[in-house]
Amino acid sequence: MKNSSDKKYSIEISQKEAEEIRNAIKAASLKVMDEYIERMKKSWPNRPEAMQYFYDIAKFFGTREREIQEAKEEGKKVIGYTCMLAPIELILAADAIPVRVSSGFYDPVKLGNRIVPVEVCPVVRSTIGVEMIGLSPYLKLSDALITPLTCDGMTKLSEILSDSKPVWTLYPPRLKDSEQSMFFWREELRTLKAKIEKLTRTKITAKKLKAAIEIMHKATRAFRRLQEIRKDAPVIMGRDAMLVNQTSMWDDIKRWTEKTEELCNELERRIREKVWACPPDTPRVMIAGSPAIWPDNWKLPNLVEEASPQGVIVADELCSGDRFLFDPVGVDEWTMDDMFKAVAERYLLPSTCPCFTSEDGNKDRVNWLTARIEERRVDGVIYHVFRGCMLYAMEYMRIKRVLDKINVPVYYLDTDYTREDVGQIKTRVEAFLEMLKSRVEF
Amino acid sequence: MSEDNFEYWRWREYHLIVPNVRLEKAKVITAGIDIGSVSSKAAIMVDGKIYSISVMRTGSSSPDSAKKVLENALEGTGIKLRDINYIVGTGYGRVNVPMANSTVTEIACHAKGANYIWGPTVRTILDVGGQDIKAIRCDERGKVLSFLMNDKCAAGTGRGMEVLADLLKIPIEEMGAASLKVDEEPDPVSCTCVAFARTEAISLLRRGWSKEKVLASYMRAMAIRMCNLLERVGCEKDLVITGGQSKNIGIVSRVEEITGFKTLPPPNWRENGRDPMAAGAIGAALFAKALFEKTANKA
Repeated sequence: MKNSSDKKYSIEISQKEAEEIRNAIKAASLKVMDEYIERMKKSWPNRPEAMQYFYDIAKFFGTREREIQEAKEEGKKVIGYTCMLAPIELILAADAIPVRVSSGFYDPVKLGNRIVPVEVCPVVRSTIGVEMIGLSPYLKLSDALITPLTCDGMTKLSEILSDSKPVWTLYPPRLKDSEQSMFFWREELRTLKAKIEKLTRTKITAKKLKAAIEIMHKATRAFRRLQEIRKDAPVIMGRDAMLVNQTSMWDDIKRWTEKTEELCNELERRIREKVWACPPDTPRVMIAGSPAIWPDNWKLPNLVEEASPQGVIVADELCSGDRFLFDPVGVDEWTMDDMFKAVAERYLLPSTCPCFTSEDGNKDRVNWLTARIEERRVDGVIYHVFRGCMLYAMEYMRIKRVLDKINVPVYYLDTDYTREDVGQIKTRVEAFLEMLKSRVEF
Repeated sequence: MSEDNFEYWRWREYHLIVPNVRLEKAKVITAGIDIGSVSSKAAIMVDGKIYSISVMRTGSSSPDSAKKVLENALEGTGIKLRDINYIVGTGYGRVNVPMANSTVTEIACHAKGANYIWGPTVRTILDVGGQDIKAIRCDERGKVLSFLMNDKCAAGTGRGMEVLADLLKIPIEEMGAASLKVDEEPDPVSCTCVAFARTEAISLLRRGWSKEKVLASYMRAMAIRMCNLLERVGCEKDLVITGGQSKNIGIVSRVEEITGFKTLPPPNWRENGRDPMAAGAIGAALFAKALFEKTANKA
């Protein structure tokens, strides 16, 4: 821990105050998580038993926290990351535990506001607040953080977090499609690899990297299988699928893969038996834009699937969701050089984050969206933007124009980490769902 | 009532029964109840035709307001609550309408209602209510194609008019006309925030502005806000204004001037019940009919 005088941003907060706030927020969060899980169960009464595992893992301050704690006591290192550009294979290859630490808690935003202005994106403000009081077990347990410098918020967040933890920045080139970008990115990852090896005192050998890639291949296969299932009439509610996707960010990835395959077995059986999770004519919604992060920022998924008329989320385009494990590392030859190149490519090239641009104006994102809309038979898109999330906000016009052309309605919904706007958003979401439904009714 | 006690903000509540609606052969009787933040509206329809309309102030409780406004609408009609086949609740208080069979958002209801009031040429609806503004695009059947709502705050909405009526001591229903009695249109006020409306107006009065000029300035700012929303949603003719502010000539004329679109004139609502302020309730009653027939067909 550094002296306060060395700190660049962080302000003094007494241990007593931190503890008091932490306990209060933790107690409230436990309630929120229980309540949200109960509500999810209520919208999907005939859910398969295999879902229970994910509800359990979704509970922060529980089983998974203890597991990681124990692993740490046995000498394992935990490496947190703030964004999906962080190469998980390299963490696994060094026998370390990867956890995503970008925060979905609402209440710590108030603490973040003490350091950065309220105009800053709430994920950043909340993550700062969470670190101040040690709320998130995964952030707290992280020995070091990988912080890709994607948007302005994430860039400064990286600096702020460096007050309390070793922070390894990763600088993605904003132009993806060029030789020099790829060269630069590979060098970034090479530096990162050395840092990981030093912290974990583990050499990332070809054998270890291959094993890690194979673990992630299996995870990707399970992940894709689940999304494939969502193409059909709904056998799983969107919120539940989103939760399964998201638990992969802190669960033991091998166990997560097994459990997801189990869930998929059950869901595929249900497709054959036509056991739907909600009426097959329920409007099929996609959420695009800023991430929806468990637990508190389940606001929009809750509203869509509890609305009257009800919608079902069959796809999302969130870095906290459908995009996370979508792309496998494409290895040609299992040599160290080739594997490393393949890992680097996997994290840069398929990313559809709006922090990237190109001569064709982030065409990758447009293609990703339109492909998902077509294959999942999406009726309408809700474009979710946080206050202060400039890049997603600015790309809206581009996306809207494309969606208008293919006659898919899109609704721009701006929100913040607050519970106060639920009423207003509800009217907007319900009116949008009515609009989608009225294409067939009335 | 002495002048000091006169409640300038009070707008008229009313109940209207449309003559010549034959009840004897009625097949479907439906009701729409629109609980807004400031006013509650109920429409009773017989076979899809307006029979009775009631407009009242919203009380502190949505269920009570819903009950009161529906009772008021039924009064003298010979229709009892149990005769109504289907009730749809709408408005911000829609989930708290105990007698409703289902709910539909005010956005869909206003589109449907406007389509009924003015006919199939309506393409854009500006709904200015007590605490929010909506710009809605619809097709020839009154189906919503897209919509936008104002931000989380009530700036530039009808509630501000009540605040100013009280301050300026001008009866609310005369404010629109008063605002047009200026030689030259003043610049818009810088802040249309309802909470600051008083402060802003007082500072202008102190500067020596006439009441009319203050009103003109405030309404100009309101109209600009509304027109921004209209522009973003993509205004197409025919344009109509619904909600309480549809009766404010000061707003209507300024919206027309800024957008360059003529709004369709309010129909002869005092006779036929097609009151733009009750468009939400009328739309709700129409949805009630459609939903009732759908359930009946299924059964």
